[in-house]
Amino acid sequence: MTAQLGEPDNLVLQARDVRFDWSAVPLHWIPGDPVATHLINVLHMLLPAGEEWFVRVFKEAVPLIEDDDLREDVLGFIGQEAMHASSHDAVLDHFMEQGLDVRPFVRQVEFLFESMLGDRGLTGDRRRAWLNERISLIAAIEHFTGVLGDWILNATALDEAGADPMMLDLLRWHGAEEVEHRHVAHELFMHLDGRYPARLRAMAETVTALVSLWQRGHRYLMAADPIVKGRIKGGVRHIRRTGRAGLTPEGRMVAASIRRYTRRDYSPLNEGSTEQALAYLATSPAAQAALR
Amino acid sequence: MTIPPDLYGRRSRDRFVIAASALFSGLYRLRTLRTPTLPPVRPVDRSMRLVVQAVTQVAEEVVSLTLAAPDGRLLPAWQPGSHLDLHLPSGRRRQYSLCGDPSDLGTYRIAVRRLPDGGGGSLEVHGLSEGTVLKVQGPRNAFPFIPRKRYLFIAGGIGITPILPMVKAAEKLGADWHLIYTGRTRATLPFLDELPDQRVTIRTDDTDGIPTSDFLLASATPGTAVHVCGPSPMIDAIRAALPADATLHYERFAPAPITDGKPFEVELKSSGRVLQIPATRSALDVIKEEKPDVAYSCRQGFCGTCKTRILSGAADDRAPSDPAGDNTMLICVSRATQGRLTLDL
Ligand code: FES
Ligand SMILES: [Fe+2]
Ligand SMILES: [Fe+2]
Repeated sequence: MTAQLGEPDNLVLQARDVRFDWSAVPLHWIPGDPVATHLINVLHMLLPAGEEWFVRVFKEAVPLIEDDDLREDVLGFIGQEAMHASSHDAVLDHFMEQGLDVRPFVRQVEFLFESMLGDRGLTGDRRRAWLNERISLIAAIEHFTGVLGDWILNATALDEAGADPMMLDLLRWHGAEEVEHRHVAHELFMHLDGRYPARLRAMAETVTALVSLWQRGHRYLMAADPIVKGRIKGGVRHIRRTGRAGLTPEGRMVAASIRRYTRRDYSPLNEGSTEQALAYLATSPAAQAALR
Repeated sequence: MTIPPDLYGRRSRDRFVIAASALFSGLYRLRTLRTPTLPPVRPVDRSMRLVVQAVTQVAEEVVSLTLAAPDGRLLPAWQPGSHLDLHLPSGRRRQYSLCGDPSDLGTYRIAVRRLPDGGGGSLEVHGLSEGTVLKVQGPRNAFPFIPRKRYLFIAGGIGITPILPMVKAAEKLGADWHLIYTGRTRATLPFLDELPDQRVTIRTDDTDGIPTSDFLLASATPGTAVHVCGPSPMIDAIRAALPADATLHYERFAPAPITDGKPFEVELKSSGRVLQIPATRSALDVIKEEKPDVAYSCRQGFCGTCKTRILSGAADDRAPSDPAGDNTMLICVSRATQGRLTLDL
């Protein structure tokens, strides 16, 4: 055996309990940079409804799985996503307390996940096909959560910019679990369906939806922010600056990852490092606080 | 759900959402003009048949099993903290930590203490003879070992099993480590002969008394990764006393034991079956045997995955994340206040 342990394998995925206290976190938690702060804050508005939707869809898929290990992974995934959803939801309450009313945008996000992507009251094969389609979308979205998770674990520029440690811990705990379970949605799709054209279509739909949600969400936050008061117009174009500064991912990095996703031999395991994710989770203040 | 209002209060129905929703539904309808074709789901069986190569008494009431492939094939690799899932001849399934050498891919080793009052799994393992073939799943890792500079390992009795490979790995990593190994008497402690002489403290109740958390954590200096495996009171004591600048790692595999549980009945709506939940088991545990695809994750009442609608009866809403007064319960922890519960399962 070498001195190194190498990339951990065959992990049992488990939900981790966490404790956060938002009361002392400033509205612009990247000091002096509301533009970058809100580019990341769009996530807080998407994730609670989005991840609750993951949970509902995956619960529906559990009885169809004919692979014991995958079923265990999916159950662990569900528990982790449920914790993510409720943790981000608490941040939204904190935004409200600081006079940033996120409800109008959140209502639209809920409409997307609960109505457009919700249950259609189908039966038989049509129900299965709609389920597979939603799983293909989740697999595409999970590609991005894994890539973003890997990014945030390595985003030292945020620490250098003095970003709030509690917020960074939320994002990194979440990001690390995204890296930890990055293979699950893809493997579930490959197990239940696996068709290549469906993967491509799901990625195209996901990219379209994410770009417009970010564009609209960021514009909305910049307009609704009680300090900025719309003096700076929001929009995804800002990532040219924030990406270069390392405060958000860069467009080029995300584009390259999409090209990898579209390859037939794509494997989520090649994105990010489980060892790094586990090392973070082992010391995450929020996760440690709940273990005591 | 109706179309939500415009973001800036200009209209009661947002135009962008109307357009997006119409486009998405239109595309969906177009695609579903054709009847769907569904690729078949291929069952995947990852289990192995392994033969019990040796049953060895390694301490009072403790045997170790050496398992190998019948044809001598190499076994899947594993890392410290991993366990195997054994399907015993009676149909019981039990998980045991691997406590052998990860670089030996020819055999696996587990060790089991005889628990006369347990669920019967340990007695059955103790009765296995060499040559028995078992169905085995894994290895899987619920207690990953992470490279750090300084470790404190604390093992209580049979809790040495996941810790032993970690100790050896820490030694190979050249880390600074210390092991405290506790138990009733020396004779009940397995693998003493495999531990180095340095860096190990053996403490037994018969000569030194029950260890205090201060004793266990004396060397938990700032930055130390404390890895614990042992009975839950020991883990609880360590949790309560851990210094703020050390980190804690234990297997969150087993849910906490049930405190003052009373037996009750659960009726499942789908099948009408009535299940008896004994005082010492959770509703989830029993329901899972009847319905293997019931959704759950943490088994500790915080993730909310197992939330189930109550159709009749009342639950005690034991977990902080299980608000009282609604008609749902977390079946992994909450119990009936009395009598029978009918659940939407
Ligand atoms: S399984 Fe997590 S709350 Fe019950
Ligand atoms: Fe998530
Ligand atoms: Fe995820």
